[in-house]
Amino acid sequence: MGFSFVLAVFGSTIAIIVIMGFLLYYFAVDYRKGLLGDTNSALPKTESNTMLSRMRRELSFSAFMMDDSKSIGIRYIVTSIVLFFIAGLAGIGMRLSLWFPNPSFLTPIQYNILLTAHGTLMLYGWAVGGILGLTYYLLPTSIKLRKDSLGTVSSIMYWMYLVGALLLIFSKSTATWYFYYPVVDQLTASGGGSYSFGGLIGVMLILTATITACIIFLKMIFIDRDKSIRLSSLPLFAWSVVSTAFLIISSAPVSMIADGFLIYDLINPIFFQGANGTALAYAIMFWFWGHPIVYVAVIPAFGLIYELLPRFTGTKIYSYRAGVLSLLLLMVLSGTVWGHHLFNSGLGTVWDLIFSTTSFIVAIPSAMSVFNWIATMWVGRVRMSVPVLFIINAIIDFIIGGVTGVMLGDVGVNQLLHGTYAVTAHFHFILLGLTTGMAFATFYVLFPTLTGGRNYNIPMAKVHFYLTSIGTWIMSGFWLVGGFAGMPRRVAGYFGIFQTYQDAAAIGGVVLGIGYLIFLINFLYSAYKPVETGTGNALEEEAVA
Amino acid sequence: MNKTTPIAIFIVVLLAAGGSFIWFVESSGSSGSTNFSATYNSTQLIVLYANAEGWNYNSSHPNPTLYEKTHVLLEFKVIEQDNLPHTLTINPGINESSTNTVLSVNIPAVTGSVVWVNWSFANPGIYTYWCEVHPETMVGKLVVNSTSSNSTNASVVSSVPPQVTNLISYSSSVHYKITVRDEDDEVW
Repeated sequence: MGFSFVLAVFGSTIAIIVIMGFLLYYFAVDYRKGLLGDTNSALPKTESNTMLSRMRRELSFSAFMMDDSKSIGIRYIVTSIVLFFIAGLAGIGMRLSLWFPNPSFLTPIQYNILLTAHGTLMLYGWAVGGILGLTYYLLPTSIKLRKDSLGTVSSIMYWMYLVGALLLIFSKSTATWYFYYPVVDQLTASGGGSYSFGGLIGVMLILTATITACIIFLKMIFIDRDKSIRLSSLPLFAWSVVSTAFLIISSAPVSMIADGFLIYDLINPIFFQGANGTALAYAIMFWFWGHPIVYVAVIPAFGLIYELLPRFTGTKIYSYRAGVLSLLLLMVLSGTVWGHHLFNSGLGTVWDLIFSTTSFIVAIPSAMSVFNWIATMWVGRVRMSVPVLFIINAIIDFIIGGVTGVMLGDVGVNQLLHGTYAVTAHFHFILLGLTTGMAFATFYVLFPTLTGGRNYNIPMAKVHFYLTSIGTWIMSGFWLVGGFAGMPRRVAGYFGIFQTYQDAAAIGGVVLGIGYLIFLINFLYSAYKPVETGTGNALEEEAVA
Repeated sequence: MNKTTPIAIFIVVLLAAGGSFIWFVESSGSSGSTNFSATYNSTQLIVLYANAEGWNYNSSHPNPTLYEKTHVLLEFKVIEQDNLPHTLTINPGINESSTNTVLSVNIPAVTGSVVWVNWSFANPGIYTYWCEVHPETMVGKLVVNSTSSNSTNASVVSSVPPQVTNLISYSSSVHYKITVRDEDDEVW
């Protein structure tokens, strides 16, 4: 046997991973002792984990070897940011390729691979992962957790989530995040059929991790919270987690069943294809989860706004009860609107009207929240710091995205706009402005804690805010106008009459990308400055220093 | 915070994003880059009935040997006949090979459904078209001649040219490797 280059690369990679694992473990033991002291680190794991989870914690790779809630949260936060940049670069690649009407530097197959990676990684990697991370990080201190158990389960679920995300990257599926028939089954050179197995298994791993984490959140909130916190004074962020967790647990298994059936179908069709099944059945089972996941990305962002606004306006939230009611109504109502994705699929007029009605009704709790925030800012004194800029932008973007969403919920208008860029504009307003914006606002609030007492560079943070805000408006705004003109989405090329909209959206996409890159540079720059403030932050006042 | 943490995160983000992008856009495998349909200047319709007993089983010539030319767009009209899953797979060589395919397309398992598969060959040679689900029964030969200069109207060669007959008898005994030649060469 001669020298094998591939074997050498694989062998050295595995050796490096093993050595790094050992070093990480070594430093993790050290780090744990440094945080707890010699006497406390000898305590039983549940007790020492509980102590750890009530401390302020900074970014450290030792988190990957520890299993208290804050460490798990740091793992999810770091991983989801990496996945966010992977998916973001894929999105910018698509935008740039669409500068010209004919497919330019991406072939249609490459475009579809990027489209699938962008969709799956942004939703399952960034939105879900980021929310799991922030919840694991913030929940223990906000409900003064009495007992931090099940750390091993959380840890295993994190690694499943990571493997799932890696499978999504490596699958190179072209099936888009729906995995619909017949796209999922194409046996082209880079097509879905050969590689969609990986993507589907990745999605199922991530969903398993998400469901289990949600059960752990519910256990934390309802069983393990401190007795001094009554249910009637539970923080609104915890209420948003309750709402999200129930939503995930009640809807994600349906999609997992459909994914399992689909894997059988890829081997030999029995469920959704052929004479004895319909492809529409898969679409229905998918959207039973596919719409709730949108609210899963949105409701915790609501909770973060509810938590952050009072701290930056100096007043209590305008109406606590209305906030709780709004979050719980969103949980119930958003589970009933999934059919509005299938208006053109032949569910029948009666179902179309029912789903259209529920889609209109779900605007009510959303508007309750929006007015609650506006009233809070109205009665308080707003300090225009960077997180508040993100919050205001999130509220405005959510209003625009929500109004266009209600328009799409009309059966007649949906006939015109289905499959156009208007839909893309609608959910990018919400997911970029609200979900991503609030995640970064929270990162800025947590910045002194995460970096161990450093302040971020405020001018750079403002540039980050203005670039992302303006980029969202340019990109999604031109998509919206182009969508009303009939510009089809999910295609690698387009008719020349749409070039203005596509070029403007490409510029917006690049502006967005520069904005997020500036966040990364700001983090690198500020973290290298000397320690200048305390490690406290507005969200974790009660935490032990 | 450890000073190496931010720079490690920065490098991981850049490497992961860049590496993933390259992974997404690179053509997959060795066959990916060559698997593009060639340019063409005329088209040719080929009707195939997908039946587990054999391609075009109900006609007088099941599993017909097809004689086509390079740089002609072959429009395969594949019609499902028996409610069973089939694929139309074409690979170079006289044996079935699922690893080095030119194309492989699924046929929906609903009788009467039609799939159009368009392909034009750049290289002359002998190819195998078959169904990956029924490799024993649904298999036929596809002989692609180079477009000669005196038959630019690209009519289908209906009878077996003598060179091709020699090729088949020759290649069935030993390993046959497809050679890429210029179009003006005398082939076979």
